[in-house]
Amino acid sequence: MSAQDCIVFVVDDDPLVRESLQDLLNSAGFTVRTFGSATEFIRSQRPDVAACLILDVELPDLSGLDLQAELVKSGIEIPIVFLTGYGDIPMSVRAMKAGAVEFLTKPFRKEPLCDAVREALARDGEDRKQRAEVLALRNRLETLTPRERQVLALVVTGLLNKQIAGELGTTDLTIKAHRGRVMRKMGAGSLADLVRMAGKLKISSDPGVRPK
Amino acid sequence: MSTRPQDDLPAEELIPQGAASLESILCTDELRRRPSRPPDYEKENRALVALAAAMVDPKANILQTFAETILEITQSDSAGLSLLTKDGGKRFYWPAIAGEWKPHAGGGAPRSFGPGGDVLDRDCTLLFRRFERRYTYLQAVAPAAEECLMVPFYVAGKPVGTIWAMMHSDRRGFDAEDERALTALGQFAALAYQTVDSLQDLRAEIAAREKAESALREFAKGLEVKIQRLVESNVIGIVIFNLEGAVSDANGAFLQMVQYSREDLVTGRVRWTDLTPAEWSDRDQRALAELRETGLLQAYEKEYFRKDGGRTPVLLGGALFEKGGSEGVAFVLDLSEQKQTAETLRRVEQQARSIVESALDAVIAMDGDGIITDWNQEAEEIFGWTRLEALGRRMSETIIPMRYRAAHETGLRRFFQTGEGPVLNKRIEISAIRRNGEEFPVELSITPLRFGETWMFSGFLRDISDRLRSEEQLRRSELNLRRMTETIPEMLWSAAPNGAVDYCNARVLEYTGLAQDDIAGAAWMKTVHPDDARNTERAWAHSVRTGDPFQSEFRSLRGSDGMYRWCVSRALPLRGFDGFILKWYGTIVDFHDRRQAEEALRNTQAELAHVNRVMTMGELAASIAHEVNQPLASIIASGDSCTAWLANEPPNLERARAAAGRVIQAATQASEIVQRIRALFKKTTASTTSVNVNAVIEDTISLLRHEAQRHDISLLTDLEADVPSVRADRVQLQQVILNLVMNAIESTASVDRERRSLVIQSARSNPGELLVAVKDAGPGIDAQQAERLFAPFFTTKPQGIGMGLPISRSIIEAHGGRLWAEKNEPQGAVFQFVLPTPVQGQ
Repeated sequence: MSAQDCIVFVVDDDPLVRESLQDLLNSAGFTVRTFGSATEFIRSQRPDVAACLILDVELPDLSGLDLQAELVKSGIEIPIVFLTGYGDIPMSVRAMKAGAVEFLTKPFRKEPLCDAVREALARDGEDRKQRAEVLALRNRLETLTPRERQVLALVVTGLLNKQIAGELGTTDLTIKAHRGRVMRKMGAGSLADLVRMAGKLKISSDPGVRPK
Repeated sequence: MSTRPQDDLPAEELIPQGAASLESILCTDELRRRPSRPPDYEKENRALVALAAAMVDPKANILQTFAETILEITQSDSAGLSLLTKDGGKRFYWPAIAGEWKPHAGGGAPRSFGPGGDVLDRDCTLLFRRFERRYTYLQAVAPAAEECLMVPFYVAGKPVGTIWAMMHSDRRGFDAEDERALTALGQFAALAYQTVDSLQDLRAEIAAREKAESALREFAKGLEVKIQRLVESNVIGIVIFNLEGAVSDANGAFLQMVQYSREDLVTGRVRWTDLTPAEWSDRDQRALAELRETGLLQAYEKEYFRKDGGRTPVLLGGALFEKGGSEGVAFVLDLSEQKQTAETLRRVEQQARSIVESALDAVIAMDGDGIITDWNQEAEEIFGWTRLEALGRRMSETIIPMRYRAAHETGLRRFFQTGEGPVLNKRIEISAIRRNGEEFPVELSITPLRFGETWMFSGFLRDISDRLRSEEQLRRSELNLRRMTETIPEMLWSAAPNGAVDYCNARVLEYTGLAQDDIAGAAWMKTVHPDDARNTERAWAHSVRTGDPFQSEFRSLRGSDGMYRWCVSRALPLRGFDGFILKWYGTIVDFHDRRQAEEALRNTQAELAHVNRVMTMGELAASIAHEVNQPLASIIASGDSCTAWLANEPPNLERARAAAGRVIQAATQASEIVQRIRALFKKTTASTTSVNVNAVIEDTISLLRHEAQRHDISLLTDLEADVPSVRADRVQLQQVILNLVMNAIESTASVDRERRSLVIQSARSNPGELLVAVKDAGPGIDAQQAERLFAPFFTTKPQGIGMGLPISRSIIEAHGGRLWAEKNEPQGAVFQFVLPTPVQGQ
C-alpha cells in the first residue's frame, strides 16, 4: 500500500500549524486534508481510502478527546494521532485507551510524526482488510441453509459428525453431506480454515446460531 | 518746559473750526456714579492747619501753599488756582500751581473761552475730560489733562476765580469725595485770596512806615539839614510852635493831616490847643510840663481834630529850640493808615484764629520769655487749662513734665544765643502733662517766628496716646508673630517680589547651618543638591514671574551631618490691593524619612504585585505553554519540511521558500507572545502612559483564551468603540484584568457547561470615567462576602495566597479609580472598576 493511496486528515485551529503540518506531510509524500475544527471534520465527505487523523487536543468548539469519543460512538473507525501543546499524563492515558495511535507534544519533529502517521495508516489499511474479509465471509455465510449454519456452528466447536448427528437427531451420513456443502460454500480448505472463519464471523455455539 | 498760552489767546470770535462742543468734554454726572473713596478728614485737617499756618506767616507763599494743599487732599497730579485779572476780569491767570503743571504757573486762559469761564458761567463744579479737544490752545500745555475737576470761588458774592485739580492719566478718576473736598477748599480759597490781597497792601504800608520812622529818628538827632529836608519832604508833619499855643509854621504834611491851611494856623486863627480833643488835654499838659522841664518831648500817641471835625490819630514828639525857651518844633506822624492796617491785621488774625480754633490739633504759642501767648480750643481739651487760664502762664510750668523743664529753659536760652534748636521745625514725640498731672505722649512741631526783634514760637501738638497704644499693640503682635515664627518647629522663609530671599527663621538656619547673613538673595541654593538645583531654580523663577504658587522637592544639605535629605518647599505670594505681589512666604519641610518609607512601601507593593503576577502566570502555565508551543510547532514542522523540499531531486525550491516564510512568520508570532508574557513576569517600576483600555483587554484575553478553553468556557468581549485613553501603568492594568478574568474562569468552571461563559465589557460610564466589567455566570457572591473578597489572604483557590483582589484594588485606587463587586443578573458576579479619563480639552 503506497502513501498516495491513503489520506491524512489534520484538525487544528491554528492556521499556521495547520499549514505547516500539511506541508510537512506533503514533503513526506502524504496526501493531506486540513480542518479548522472538529465540527468541520465531522460534516465533511471523506473518500473511502485508508486514512488517519492528526488531531489537536485543544480545539475551540469540541476538544480533540471529545471528537474521539464522538467518532467511536458513531462507529467511525479512524486511527488518531493526537497533538497537544501541553500534554499531561491523564490526558494521554485517556486518549490512548480510546484507541489513539500516538500522543505527540508540540513541537514535534518530522520523523516521529511520519512514523506515527505511517503506523496509523498501516493500522487503518489492516483494519480495512479485516473488515473486507469479514464482509466476504458474511456473504458466503448467507448462502448456507439454516441446517448448514447449524452444522457449521457445531463443527467449529470441535464436535465429531456422530456427536453432531446425535445433537441434531439425524444420521452421521447426513451430517457428513451437510459438512461437505458447508466446506465448499464457505471456501474452506480444512477444518482449521473453517474454525478461523467462524472466529472472524464471531460464530460460536451460542444460542443465536444453535439450531432450534 | 513752560508755555504761556495767554501770549497768543484766541479772540472770542476766533473759536477754532471743528473744536469739540462743550457738552462733549464734560462728564460731571459721572462723579456721582463712580465709587467714592472714603473721606480722609485727618489728612484734610492737617493740610488746612498747614494752610492756616501759612496764612499767618508773613513770609509764606499762601497761594502756592494752597495749591499744594489741593494737590494733597485730592491726590491729583496737578492742582492750582485761576484768578480773574484785575483789568476787569478779561482773563484768568494762574498765580500758583502744584504738581506736574507747576512749570506753567504764571500762565492763563481767556475768560470768554476756557474751562474757568465755563465754571463761572454755570456757577457750579464741572468735571472736564480732555478739555484741549475744545480749547485747542491748551494742547500746548503738557502733560494733557485726562480729567480736570474745577470749582468756582467767590469773595463777597463776586466770582474771583476757580480752583482745580487734574489727573494726567487714567490711573484714577475723580469722584464725589474729590468734589466735596474741592468745594470745601473753595471756601478757604476766598480767605486765602483776601489774606493775600490785604497782606500785599500791608506790606506796602509797613514799608512806608519804616521809612518814616527812620526819618523821624534822624530828625530826632537834631540834624537841622536833615530836618529841613524832612520838613520839605512832607514825609511827616512838622510844626513850629510856642508853649502858649501859637503855631508859627507847619509843613504840608501836617496841614494835610489836619486839613487846615497854613494861613489858618500862622495867623493864629487856629491854635494848636484848639486842635486837641478834650480827652487828650491831660496828656498834653503832662507833655508840656515835660517839655518845660527837659526841653524834650518823648513821642506819644494822641489825636488831632481835623478841620472837618473828624480826628486823625498821630504820633507826636518834639523839642524846644532852647531849653527854658518857649518855642520849639514838633514832629507829627499820621497814624490813621497804620491804625487801619492794624485793624486789617486784626481781622486776618481773627480769621486765622477761627481756623486755629477749629483745628483738631492743639495750637499753642509762646513768646521769647517762655510765656504762653496762644492756646486754642483743642489745647484746652487736651491739657485741661482754659485759654484764659493758660495765657500768661509759663509754658514750661504748664505743659512740660518737671524733669524736662530745665532742659526746656536751657534750650530756649541756647536758641537765642545760637539760633539753633534741636526740637525746632520738625515733628517730635515727647511727653507732656495735663492739668491733673497725668503725663501723656504728644506729637509736637515747634516753629520759631520772628517779629522784628522779638521771637515767637508756635506749636502744633497732638495727643498720641491712642496712636501709641495701637502702635504698641501692633508692635506687640508683631513681636508675638516674630517669636512664633522663630519658635515654631517648622522652617519658614520669605522673599521679596523679585525672588530674593530676605528672611529665614531660626529653624532654617539650624537645619542648613547657614548664618542669617548667608541667606540673602539666592545663597540658599548652595544647599540644594546639584541634581535638583536646576529644577528648583526653574520652578522658583516661574513662580516669581507668574505669581503661581511655588512647590519644589529637592535634596537639601543638612548642616549637622552633611547629609542630603529630601525636602519640599512651598510658597505663596502676598498680594497688595492692586494685585501686585508684595512678598512671598514659604515653608520647607524635611520629608526624607517619609519619602523613604513611602518608597519602601512602594517597593513592597511592587514586590507583592509581582509575586501575584508570577503566581497568576503559574496558574496560566498550561495556556501559556500551548500559546508558545503553537508557533514553535509551526517553526519546527516548517523547518523539517523545508529541509525535505530541499532534499528532493530536484529540490522543490518553491515549497522550501514557502516553508521558510512560515518559519519567520511563526517565529515572529512566538516572539510577540514571549514579549507579552515577559512584561507580566518582569519586575517593573510603575510608569504611567496613555493607555487604550480595549487594547489592554485584547492583549490579556490572548493569554487567557486557552485557559478558558481548557475549562470549556466561552470568553466574550463587549468593548465600546473609541473609548477614551486613560493615564495608567499598562502592566498593572493588565494584571488587574488578568486577576479578574482568572477569578471569573475559576468560578465559572464549577457550573454547568451551558452556563460557562463570561463577558468582558468596556464602556464610558459617568462623565470622565471609564468602566471595565468582568461578568460571569458562576455561583455568584452574596452581599456579605462581597467586601471580604477584598481582604488580604482571603482565597478560594488551593494555590492562591489571596492577594489578587486586594492588589487589584490598590492598583486601581492608585490610578484614582474604584474597584468593586456586584451581583450579576440573572446569576453570577460582576467585578468592575472605573478609571478617570482626562477631561476634554486637556
